[in-house]
Amino acid sequence: MTTPRPRSPLPPRAVDALLVDTTPWLSCDECFERMDVHVEAVLADPHHHDAAMEHHLLGCAACADEARSLLDLLRSGTA
Amino acid sequence: MTALSRDDLPPPGGGPGTTTRPVPPGGLAGSARTEPVDWVVALSTPGPEQQHALRLLHQLMVRAAAHQVWRLRHALPDDSPAAVEVVVQQAADEAMTALLGKLHSFEGRSRFTTWAFKFAILQASSDVRRLQWRRREVELRDLDLGTIAASDHDDAEHSAEAADLASALARAMSTALTPYQRRIAVALLVDEVPIDVLAERLGTNRGALYKTLHEARRRLRAELTERGYLSPTGGAR
Repeated sequence: MTTPRPRSPLPPRAVDALLVDTTPWLSCDECFERMDVHVEAVLADPHHHDAAMEHHLLGCAACADEARSLLDLLRSGTA
Repeated sequence: MTALSRDDLPPPGGGPGTTTRPVPPGGLAGSARTEPVDWVVALSTPGPEQQHALRLLHQLMVRAAAHQVWRLRHALPDDSPAAVEVVVQQAADEAMTALLGKLHSFEGRSRFTTWAFKFAILQASSDVRRLQWRRREVELRDLDLGTIAASDHDDAEHSAEAADLASALARAMSTALTPYQRRIAVALLVDEVPIDVLAERLGTNRGALYKTLHEARRRLRAELTERGYLSPTGGAR
């Protein structure tokens, strides 16, 4: 007989998403305003670092998908 | 400036003096003839150059919208090429209107084309998500520990430590969050309702919901750090 494992009350993906550290604060509007500059900077330098953008993109699935799409679009045009 | 609809633009087949070749996303075919030297001036100054710039801008909008809609087409109720094309054209039109309304805010810190693309991608994303959820109810429910536990507790990959953290997180959600914060967090991160869809259903906006979520996360992290589940530097212990 095995010992019952503790029950997990939240799906693992939700746990990860709930515990994302989204500081420093950046709003979705500010993310949108900065997205073009950020994506061009990442394209020019893959090590480009912008903590506020990076943390916002980790915590906002919609903004993250849009940034990824913009990056893909620019890459497809410069490949 | 008054935003133009697609009907106001020169015909896609090209009127006199227009060029209709495909526009690559990285720029406008590298042609000095087709790309305005100064997009803002060209788009703001009435005359033939403005019409030309508007047509080129619409091509950019269509290209970026198509890129995003095709990426997300699996989410569409009808992902046939014809249906996708309708979504693309509508998103491009709406994005162009939004862009022209904010033209004065372009500061030249990126290429104009990159700046323009983001409007189309945002609009296309929002349109696809709205269509995806059009016939789905969005329930602003509270955390239901029993239901979630029953559906997940047989997951063989889920370690005891992870389950313990999840239990502590659920307790923290009950004690550290307001009912509204908890319901928003559950809708966005457990039920995975897209943020703009939820905003529309609740009559609020994406920014307001994200702010609520940000504050909820901050409270949860503080609570779990205090209880020893997270290290003060961030990660799970």
